[in-house]
Amino acid sequence: MDIGELKRQSDLSYDISVAKRNALEKAHARLLLVYNEHIFRADAETINLVKTLSEVHPSPFYVLDTNNNPVEIAEPKLFLKTLIERNQEAISSYHQMSKTFGKRVD
Amino acid sequence: MTKKGVLLFCFDTPDFKYHKILEKCVLLIKRNLKLEVTVVTNFETYKHIKPLGFVNYKFIEPELGNKKYGLEWRNVDRHMAYELSPYDVTLVMDIDYFPFTDNLKQFLDTKYDFLVSKNAHDLTNRNSFDTRKYSMIDMVWATVFVFRKGKKAKRIFDMIKYVKQYYSYFMDLYRVVDRRFRNDYAFAIALEQANGMITYDTLPITLPTLPPDCRVLEINDEGITWQYNDQVNFTKNQDVHVLNKEVANV
Repeated sequence: MDIGELKRQSDLSYDISVAKRNALEKAHARLLLVYNEHIFRADAETINLVKTLSEVHPSPFYVLDTNNNPVEIAEPKLFLKTLIERNQEAISSYHQMSKTFGKRVD
Repeated sequence: MTKKGVLLFCFDTPDFKYHKILEKCVLLIKRNLKLEVTVVTNFETYKHIKPLGFVNYKFIEPELGNKKYGLEWRNVDRHMAYELSPYDVTLVMDIDYFPFTDNLKQFLDTKYDFLVSKNAHDLTNRNSFDTRKYSMIDMVWATVFVFRKGKKAKRIFDMIKYVKQYYSYFMDLYRVVDRRFRNDYAFAIALEQANGMITYDTLPITLPTLPPDCRVLEINDEGITWQYNDQVNFTKNQDVHVLNKEVANV
């Protein structure tokens, strides 16, 4: 491999790395969700907690928002559905973007 | 019914036509956030702004004297947001924050009285906004904040005014390296003081920010393309805070 090709590959790797980091940040921004006047992250941890509580604890139950303030969840099914929808919207968009990274390498 | 809207501050300077940045920002607010907009400006700037549809204007004379890199920097009036806002819940944004998404809109529906973010993401991946080492307290990004009118928000704004009045003293107290007046530090200090020197509630967003050494090549309906050294990159459907004021000419 000549040095020109090496530099081209290095630049490409840098571009992809920046784009990937920004796409991930975009997904994180989209995961934020306001529900019942409080802010939550629709991430795996929140979804798992809400799903578990909804299965083993009678409603209402209580969870913490992003500022560690307690929130009463009176409608667990609705909250879980909202969390999952937002999660998949954000991650699916990230997935679409990540497919373009592969194309750039090809 | 609770009245919600966006408050923007825009003053041209001899060096930069900020009204051109405002025009781009307002269009994106209308398209993506779909909120009413009020612009705080002066008549000199207003007469250059192209028609933007329904927008409220409030006229004030900006306080002069602050400088950035030797150039006039008209950023000192943000402390008046409480009095100038016609809304019950207000989203205040820098005009160089381009909302390519509706992400911010939902934060007007929380129970919180005052929310501001502490974090920024460097879109060039150089981590150039690690501000913690430049003062004894966390800096906040007054670029974007939300407040609900009431006793608590009023108290915070009164504190911001107090910090502004004795700014050099507070800069020494908190060992802030940057000696220019920055809303980011005035707000951070006021929040710390008003909240009894302990932690306070924050907006958990990380502002996607393009450093000032990046040249914006294109802005379209979906995002921004920029150049840093010989690298060109872009964002799509992602909010962007652009620090290079040459964006006015793109």
